Amino acid sequence: MSSFWFLNGIKKGIKTEKFPSAKPEFPPDWPSGLSGTYSANCPVKAITPEGWIMEKCIFCRRCIPNMQPTKEQDIFTIKSGEDIFRKSFHVFPLDSGACGSCNIEFLSVFSPQYDANRLGIFLVNTPRHADAIVIMGVMTNGMKETLDRAYEAMPEPKLIIALGVCTITGGIMGEPPLDREKYNVEIAGCPPSPYTILAALNAAKGAGKK
Amino acid sequence: MRYYKFGKPGGRLIGNTEKYTVYENTVSERRDKFQKLFYQNLPGEFTFSYGPATGGLLESVAFQIKTPGELIKQVVVDPYFKTRTINLTGLAPQDALLKIERINGFHAAANAISFEMAVEDALGIEVTDEINYSRIVMLELERIRSNLEVVKRLCEPAGFGVPENQVAHLREEVTRLISMVTGHRYFFSASSIGGCLIRTSGLEENIIKIKDQFETLFNNLLQSKIFLNRLQNNGVIKNGPLLGPAARAAGMIVDARISHPVLPYGKLGFKIAVFDEPDAFGRFYVRSQEILNSAELILEALNNCGNRDTVNSSAVNGEGAARLESPQGDLFYYVKIDHGVIQDVQISSPSLLNIDAFRRSMVGNIFTDFHFNWESFGIWISELAVVIK
Repeated sequence: MSSFWFLNGIKKGIKTEKFPSAKPEFPPDWPSGLSGTYSANCPVKAITPEGWIMEKCIFCRRCIPNMQPTKEQDIFTIKSGEDIFRKSFHVFPLDSGACGSCNIEFLSVFSPQYDANRLGIFLVNTPRHADAIVIMGVMTNGMKETLDRAYEAMPEPKLIIALGVCTITGGIMGEPPLDREKYNVEIAGCPPSPYTILAALNAAKGAGKK
Repeated sequence: MRYYKFGKPGGRLIGNTEKYTVYENTVSERRDKFQKLFYQNLPGEFTFSYGPATGGLLESVAFQIKTPGELIKQVVVDPYFKTRTINLTGLAPQDALLKIERINGFHAAANAISFEMAVEDALGIEVTDEINYSRIVMLELERIRSNLEVVKRLCEPAGFGVPENQVAHLREEVTRLISMVTGHRYFFSASSIGGCLIRTSGLEENIIKIKDQFETLFNNLLQSKIFLNRLQNNGVIKNGPLLGPAARAAGMIVDARISHPVLPYGKLGFKIAVFDEPDAFGRFYVRSQEILNSAELILEALNNCGNRDTVNSSAVNGEGAARLESPQGDLFYYVKIDHGVIQDVQISSPSLLNIDAFRRSMVGNIFTDFHFNWESFGIWISELAVVIK
């Protein structure tokens, strides 16, 4: 039976896309970059006369037709990184108060279409083994101590990655877990697509490269 | 309220909201309380703490496992670490919907449509058959993805890498299909009060492809004795209140798609998938059958789908309630609207009864059974750990 599954896997062929070295094969419309003109209809004030603030946007589509999706998946910001993570980057996810969609999108980067392992990005089961903590969701009272303890348990150097609009600005659901200046990486989206997450993690691990 | 009335407790228990206990056709103001657990460790036994944030858990949840080392004597589940407070009072229903979708983002369609049905009930909004069929397409796509996630997570603790990745691949294909149909990978803003906007071109061929691929994978999994041994006789539960796939695996013919016929499932020739093994294998089997059934339902509903924008009602006051079959079981919403804004929302999540069933079924099993049994219930903490204000 074990050889059956081995051969079965081989027969399926390679399902992994070339992204991020090539363009995404199936980029979603929502979430993606937005472009257009000012719309007063935004429930989170992500669209201002000065432009679109991706870290606030919940991609609710109320700005249509003024704003249109561009399908661009690079809606993230790398504020700082560490050169030491260039070849292997171990991440620990922490759900501080997420709706579940960020949790699934984060895990999706390890599914065959994206296969984050090939880029040297690995999931770990404890913050003790982590280079970065990936926080998902708004702040909740019950998770505050867990978040603090997880961060303290991580070895130096370490990064904090905010995944999703709830974590960055609170979005429409509440307050963010940390002040924005504490985040090394901010990944916009509600939830961010696996393309965006993969590109952000890949960029973060090489961000300190000289 | 057209479908529910306040009254005495009676009929099948659906669950608790913050204020009420919900039964099949009535809402009772006498709120049932679950029996509190008390277990004193015997000499040589200890309490093993697991969670709230550690490997193997999709969401933040904590377990206290009472054990002498291998046998599990009792499990206490605390799902309330990540309790979110969601402010809905004073919002227009359409604005509240943005937050309702994000109560459980992985099941946004079930939560959104159940809320919309309750609002439509409260304000007397008539929904056309075309919209109801579109909603069925959304709900069944969500059920396929949710059940695929459960099958994937059952393969994971078995170290069954090839099928796990094949199911993960299939789940991502379904998510891309959802994005193609609704514009968003998680159905956000795809439906509205009285309306629904979906694109069905290309759906038929893709759903046939996904159904065929899963059918092959499912039949292969049924040939793997090692995998099946991890599931069979693990987490046997056939008594007490059960919902969704857990109930149907125990041979109970319960399904809101039939018992609460607001959506026209009956016209699609829908048949409930039941099984006679009330363990993790039975729940895996029922969920797998439901993936195939949901694909059939989508193909049936596809020809009758239609789109319509939000419907604005002249009514501004009312109370309504609705229930539908989410992938985990009965999901209930009660809504009270006053002067066009939300005054009260009550939610009964299937995960409450599923957690109770899980902890009862875990007694007498061993540590290595834990993850298989937990995943087989498909419990979602996010829809349970919410306080609506």
